[in-house]
Amino acid sequence: MTLKLCVLTPNRIILDSEVKEIILSTNSGQIGVLPNHAPIATAVDIGLLRIRLNDQWLGVALMGGFARIGNDEIIILGNDGEISTDINPQEAQEALEIAEATLRKAKGKRQVIEANLALRRARTRVEAVNVIS
Amino acid sequence: MAMAALRREGKRFLLSPNPAIAVRSAVLSDELTAPLSTRSISTQVVRNRMKSVKNIQKITKAMKMVAASKLRAVQVRTENSRGLWQPFTALLGDTPSVDVKKNVIVTISSDKGLCGGINSTSVKVSKALYKLTAGPEKETQYVILGEKGKVQLIRDSKASIALTITEIQKNPLNYTQVSVLADDILKNVEFDALRIVYNKFHSVVSFIPTISTILSPEAVEKESEAGGKLGDLDLYEVEGGETKSEVLQNLAEFQFSCVLFNAVLENACSELGARMSAMDSSSRNAGDMLDRLTLTYNRTRQASITTELIEIISGASALTG
Repeated sequence: MTLKLCVLTPNRIILDSEVKEIILSTNSGQIGVLPNHAPIATAVDIGLLRIRLNDQWLGVALMGGFARIGNDEIIILGNDGEISTDINPQEAQEALEIAEATLRKAKGKRQVIEANLALRRARTRVEAVNVIS
Repeated sequence: MAMAALRREGKRFLLSPNPAIAVRSAVLSDELTAPLSTRSISTQVVRNRMKSVKNIQKITKAMKMVAASKLRAVQVRTENSRGLWQPFTALLGDTPSVDVKKNVIVTISSDKGLCGGINSTSVKVSKALYKLTAGPEKETQYVILGEKGKVQLIRDSKASIALTITEIQKNPLNYTQVSVLADDILKNVEFDALRIVYNKFHSVVSFIPTISTILSPEAVEKESEAGGKLGDLDLYEVEGGETKSEVLQNLAEFQFSCVLFNAVLENACSELGARMSAMDSSSRNAGDMLDRLTLTYNRTRQASITTELIEIISGASALTG
């Protein structure tokens, strides 16, 4: 029993394959989806999407979006996303440090919010790299 | 060589004994430039025309190649973005026949001209849609993206234009820019249904005007009660927010920005394709024109030589005979 997973972003299709299980983070917590799950339409938070194909876990850093789960078919529409194997760990770490520095320097509500978002995105990417290892 | 010598001699004969004729021909040649004699005027003019037509042909050929190279890049991105709005249509359905009070027509057009008829078709479709959705108690407004659409619609529908946005293609299109645009539109315009009018890119020679309909969250709720595709929405357990309507609103906004992104890309592709074919046909027309002008030029040239010859010979025979 497998699930058909499709991860799409405005710029390209990130993933389109059959998987055994996924773990998705929404703004009300993380949900795990196995075959024969109940139909769900949910908003996806900025976070890590973990995918299991044949006992191997793969991570995708997803920057928010929507997911629809039904009939063993999962469609995730994200604002942006990267597969963990495509992320350079060095560069992700540097981006995280830069984001933290920006947050510390941010003044004014809007800058703080933007810096926070950038930090979460950078953190997600670093987590994605660490998933396999 | 001999011809040139004869011609020179002929001129000497011509100018000295017949000043009257020279005056008459000067009057005739009022609009033409710098004559040495009455004959070489037309060849000069035709030569100038040929030079300018050739330049135009070079320019249009270059424009076609530029459009072709830009098209290749945008086409790839358009195809990638097509997969994005299909899940929305699968979930929420596309209901162009929905009957709502407030309609907003988003017309997407180009900023630059010389791209064939795509802007006029978009504007025509928008105007037809306006008439279709007008009625008692109903309100329809325009949001215009692109200079060409604005110019055409501002002439007769100035009152119904809510927002105009130009120069979207200054920086290469990307999703963030379009989502900011979508945000702008959502904040400033009240709507029950958004209808996006754009030219869908089917191939380099075919661009079909298309309308995509997006409903506001309240309209989605109403329609889902009515049944049909949207009625199936209730089968889904909605998570990820406090209330179902909050998630639906998020979803509708996301849908709008995705569909708008795809529409803007498709229109850009269509514009480039239309420009390619317009420039191609104008280079071909210029080539035809050049052929015809060359024929005229040769004929004029030969006629002038023949006339000079005749004059020389008749002048010479008048002297001897």
